Amino acid sequence: MFLALIQKQIKLLLRSPSELLILLAMPIGLILILSFALGSIMNGDLEITNVEIALVQHGNEEEEIEAFFQKANDTFPIADELRGQIAGMVPVKLLEEQIMENDELKEFVHITKVNEKDIERTRNNGEFSAIIEIPENFTYDFLTYQFLNGEKPSFSVYLNESKQINSTIVQTLINDFQHQYTLNKVLNENGLLLEGMIVPSPEITSTINTIQSKGEITSKIYYTFSMAVMFILFTAGTIASQAFLEKDSHIFDRMILARIRPITYLFSIIISTVIFAMVQMLILFTFSYFAFNITFNQLGLYLLLTFFLAIVVGGIAAVLSSLNYRNNSASASNVFSNAFVSIFALLGGSFFNISSIAPGMAKIGLLTPNGAALDGYLKLTQQASFSDLLPNLTNLSILMIILIVLAFLLFPKRGGIA
Amino acid sequence: MIEAVNLTKSFKSGVAVDHINFYIEPGEIVGMLGPNGAGKSTTIAMLSTLIPPTEGDVLLHQKSVLKDQNLLRKVLGVVPQEIALYGDLTAKENLFFFGNLYKIPKKQLNERVEIVLEQIGLENETKKLVKHYSGGMKRRLNIGVALLHEPQYLIMDEPTVGIDPQSRNHILETVKKLNEQSNTAIIYTSHYMEEVEYLCNRIYIMDQGRIIASGSKDEIKAILSSENTVVVKVNNNSNAFMNELFNQPILTNIKADEDKINFTIAKGVNFLPNLLSLCERHNVLLKSFQMEEPTLEDVFLHLTGRALRN
Repeated sequence: MFLALIQKQIKLLLRSPSELLILLAMPIGLILILSFALGSIMNGDLEITNVEIALVQHGNEEEEIEAFFQKANDTFPIADELRGQIAGMVPVKLLEEQIMENDELKEFVHITKVNEKDIERTRNNGEFSAIIEIPENFTYDFLTYQFLNGEKPSFSVYLNESKQINSTIVQTLINDFQHQYTLNKVLNENGLLLEGMIVPSPEITSTINTIQSKGEITSKIYYTFSMAVMFILFTAGTIASQAFLEKDSHIFDRMILARIRPITYLFSIIISTVIFAMVQMLILFTFSYFAFNITFNQLGLYLLLTFFLAIVVGGIAAVLSSLNYRNNSASASNVFSNAFVSIFALLGGSFFNISSIAPGMAKIGLLTPNGAALDGYLKLTQQASFSDLLPNLTNLSILMIILIVLAFLLFPKRGGIA
Repeated sequence: MIEAVNLTKSFKSGVAVDHINFYIEPGEIVGMLGPNGAGKSTTIAMLSTLIPPTEGDVLLHQKSVLKDQNLLRKVLGVVPQEIALYGDLTAKENLFFFGNLYKIPKKQLNERVEIVLEQIGLENETKKLVKHYSGGMKRRLNIGVALLHEPQYLIMDEPTVGIDPQSRNHILETVKKLNEQSNTAIIYTSHYMEEVEYLCNRIYIMDQGRIIASGSKDEIKAILSSENTVVVKVNNNSNAFMNELFNQPILTNIKADEDKINFTIAKGVNFLPNLLSLCERHNVLLKSFQMEEPTLEDVFLHLTGRALRN
């Protein structure tokens, strides 16, 4: 009997060309269009305009270096060779070298020294991607920290949020720069620096290499998963609408008369949705496998994540069905399909990677079923392990429990027959 | 026996069914007559345990079914007024689906589906999707679904609404055969008087949520036993003529449909001379004058002051 309910639901969906068009043909079409249309942006082929960095240095660097040498002379003798090396390690110089010695960077990253009096104007006119402000005595403190165990100095960086990509590049440069401090400090503490070892020059490419080794997320990969997790939501709306038709045409009355409990009926909606959603995802992924050569290296984890997502979609279908039965109209499923899916898709990153624009919204997006699943799929493309996937699975589990409990609480006792 | 005792259903908009009493014995066909909005469908929904009554009780063999609806559901088949079928499934798929819901064993279900398809005359149309059926075929399948589990009692809510005369006759014959061959008790609601007259042993007449008359066909007609129905056909009918006719105190239930006029008159009263002089005064030509035994339609008109299909 339960099997008959599920078979019927699957048959009805398969015999509905308009629904199949929305659930299968549309995502395939959108994956193709978006992958090619937005491919250059996603694949990093986007032309980056010049990255202008303003450098504001307070105090006199040379005087600070001299002050350090005088202080250091009391602790250990400084040979001329080491003096030269230390003079070349001052932060501003390091930063400049970091850029100028890198052929790729020096083409589009430019540092402009700005007078400290002009700092406010520089902040306000917005022409720079970032402003690095080095405070007075920073060079002295920096060298003291490196060689004489002084206090760790700090400087300020202002990123221009309207130049998102450029700001990110500056951030990477700064991170590398800070990494360089730490390396020098460790070398010094282990006595290696004093033995005449050449201080390694910073390599910006090291970070890029690390990202690439995890697996690049191309537009084809991104939109395969982002469209799949978006269109799986339509399955919930479609099945809930079909469920309401059963009430509207009095088929549900017949089920009640055949002694089918409303709870069994609702459970059949969840199971049918899970089955159909799984099949839908498998079709979309198979398409991408053949069309784009997207590989699914950890198939077990992909299936597990898809299964969790499908159960959540089943829960949504059940809640929408309950609301439809309660309100005696298909408005709940219609509003969900026409409005909520788009909102969820936006928050969950189905249209574009929202975390690069609004990190706060991206966090909210992770609470949506599609957002949590998309994040999980993207992790999997970068060879994530089960433990990496756990936060996503946890989010989905919480959602599925809430939705299923809600659905059973909302479903009218007699199906709302009046 | 199924009984309804003081069955009442109130909605926010008002009382739909008002303290009705009703029964049906095994093997009977009972008609429930009434115009649209009389409360028939609400009564059917309560009798079939789909909605709970606001007041009153439904008994099966003198046992209330309000708390244990399954008692009645096991022995009851319901043919709803709406086409409660999946349009995207074939007739066979629909029958198998609902048969599975009734947990009919597979072998038995195969047999039942064949028998039912034959009963409803769709044995040669099993592969078409139901959405491609004619209205009459859908209605027949709608009945077939309710017969799968061989119910002892069958409720049919206006099963011939909106179909062609051929399908209608087929359905009436099916109902009659079902009752005769399987001894299935049938509650048949309709606003087609002739269907109820043809099929039913006993009749309940409902109006505005209440049963206003009940009994066998003859008992119901006896309500008008002291009166005759007169059908008059005229030419050159006029308002003045009709006004004067309406003012005749001995005539009741006057109904005019263009040149055809119906009214009831006490038995033994000879109204023909008065009518002739009335016609002469208003220059109306009397074409025919026919005195008939009252029909259920006349009874309904007598009881409610309205025609059944208004």
